[in-house]
Amino acid sequence: MPGRPSGRVFDPGGIPSRAAPRLHAEAHDAGLHVRGVALYKEYHGAGTGGGVTALRGVDLEVKAGEWVAIVGPSGCGKSTLLNVLAGIDLPSSGVVELLGFDQARLSEAERARLRLTRVGFVFQRFHLLPVLTAGENVELPMAEAGLSRRERQDRVRELLSFVGLEHRIGHRPAQLSGGEQQRVAIARALANRPEVVFADEPTGELDRGTGAGILDLLGTLNAEGTTLLTVTHDAEVAVRASRVIEMSDGSIVRPSGAEP
Amino acid sequence: MIVLTSLRALVRRRSRTLLALGGIAVSAALLLNMTMLASGLTSSFGELTRAQGYALRVTPLGTLPFDSEAGIGDAAATEAAIEAVRGVAAVAPVLGAQLYAVAGGSVGEPVFASGIDPDEQMLYLLVSGSDPRPDEVVASEPMAEAFDLEVGDSILLAAELDVALGAPRDVVSFRISGIADFIYNYAGERSVALELSRLQVMTNRPDEVSLFAVAATPGIDEDSLATRITAATTDLSVYSTRELMAAMDQRLAYFRQLSTILGTIALAVATLLVGTIVTLGVRERFGEIATLRAIGVRASRVRLAIVVEGFALTAAGSAIGLPLGLWISGRLDRILLSFPGIPERVSFFVMEPLPAALALFTMTAIGALVGILPASRALRAPLGAMLREEAD
Repeated sequence: MPGRPSGRVFDPGGIPSRAAPRLHAEAHDAGLHVRGVALYKEYHGAGTGGGVTALRGVDLEVKAGEWVAIVGPSGCGKSTLLNVLAGIDLPSSGVVELLGFDQARLSEAERARLRLTRVGFVFQRFHLLPVLTAGENVELPMAEAGLSRRERQDRVRELLSFVGLEHRIGHRPAQLSGGEQQRVAIARALANRPEVVFADEPTGELDRGTGAGILDLLGTLNAEGTTLLTVTHDAEVAVRASRVIEMSDGSIVRPSGAEP
Repeated sequence: MIVLTSLRALVRRRSRTLLALGGIAVSAALLLNMTMLASGLTSSFGELTRAQGYALRVTPLGTLPFDSEAGIGDAAATEAAIEAVRGVAAVAPVLGAQLYAVAGGSVGEPVFASGIDPDEQMLYLLVSGSDPRPDEVVASEPMAEAFDLEVGDSILLAAELDVALGAPRDVVSFRISGIADFIYNYAGERSVALELSRLQVMTNRPDEVSLFAVAATPGIDEDSLATRITAATTDLSVYSTRELMAAMDQRLAYFRQLSTILGTIALAVATLLVGTIVTLGVRERFGEIATLRAIGVRASRVRLAIVVEGFALTAAGSAIGLPLGLWISGRLDRILLSFPGIPERVSFFVMEPLPAALALFTMTAIGALVGILPASRALRAPLGAMLREEAD
């Protein structure tokens, strides 16, 4: 188990004011962090023939503090659903509300601001910037959110300590193992104290033991109140998640609350 | 910090960056050379014209100084008329002619001679000795070296060669009164300066000069003075330095055309080079750009990072290109000045800070701007697709 910081890593009320998006949230259920209604996503382009339907009328709600695991075979639309719910992709039709904001009514810049300040991302292949050190990778979202250098440096040490990598602060990603890179990616995802963390196959590139360590970290985050949405093939994730949603061919085949 | 990622990306691709820097530096050097060449000769010629304070030239009608064999007759009266014009501080008459120097077994080496008023001359700067008095000449340094002359030595000069005898005629002995640096001479030119009246007699051109150099009283506008001298004289052309430079500029238009074409090519090469490097870099970092966008970095910030990459490349390339360009221009200048008939003190490549800075700024700005296209393409691409592509 990695070292723990003093106090909570996630603090729902602790988003620095300068980092908060300059948006007007619509009146919404504060207990509902993610909501997708009748989501369709179609891709058109070269190699797709007449187009590919990746999502077919998906309805989903994720409450604050939940850990929802989305499972299903490759190509069933899991990652597409995650991207749509996170505001990375817009649905072809349907409504997505993230932290009370209707994504279709936000500009690209506003969606980016929301992702930067209130949402965290963990990718299967870590996606750390190879030219930055572990510390700088964690610091980057805070710098973009406008935090002072001192605040950033304190927070970087706190987060790297949380993921057990304070001693690797000056190392580049190429000098870290896969598990260490994913820990740094989790620290980066937590940089601006997000309320929701989206994780796409967070253990997909890791061996079982290392993956278990990452899941411990995610479990700790969730236990502290961070809402988690995880796309995974890993049965261990499904065991730890508070809710499992199974998808097939763009639809949810085992909806929320059903026993796995 | 976002800018740091771009700069470090350049360092990460060290070999490619160094090759690109080399290409940009050469392009920047060429652009700088062409900028220096575009106005260099004219500007250098202008400085030479103003040397010793004589900024105006009065020449036979329709000719430039030493443009032809034409001369100004009735020189003494003309000089007096010019001196009487308000704003004229001094008038220096010059008669150009070819003499033949006789030394040892030589039948007569051609030497360029200038007839001057030793008290009002602008042709040379004494290195040793004094200005010429009757039966004396001042020799150029190459002349003194070629004939092994020192101050106090004698030299035989003739105005004509007898073709039938193959020997000089009416040889006159002159004492060397001084050795001087002749500022309008080309490299290695053998020349002498002697009293105007003596040269007029030797060449049988009584009361004739090739030109007058005129010094203006401090504070007097040269163009207005040129106009007044024109009004006070007849059948003469009067040029201020500005007019001479303009005339020179017109004659050297092909230099400007050449420099414009080559300078444009240099800019185009640098643009293509930076554009290619930045486009390749962006394509390679598609995944990183997608990550930045996904975690919420603003598009304008990502664009800035990419633009900075192009800017950094061209700025560094231009910084290297500046000394390289100066070194190349020095070498080219030496080659061009070895052409016969070009004054040694003239320079084809003159570094003028403003045009040079403008040229290098233009190159750097273009380098930054070419990054906008690949940046826009990366920012327009669907983010979800970019992430999927990176994951695959």
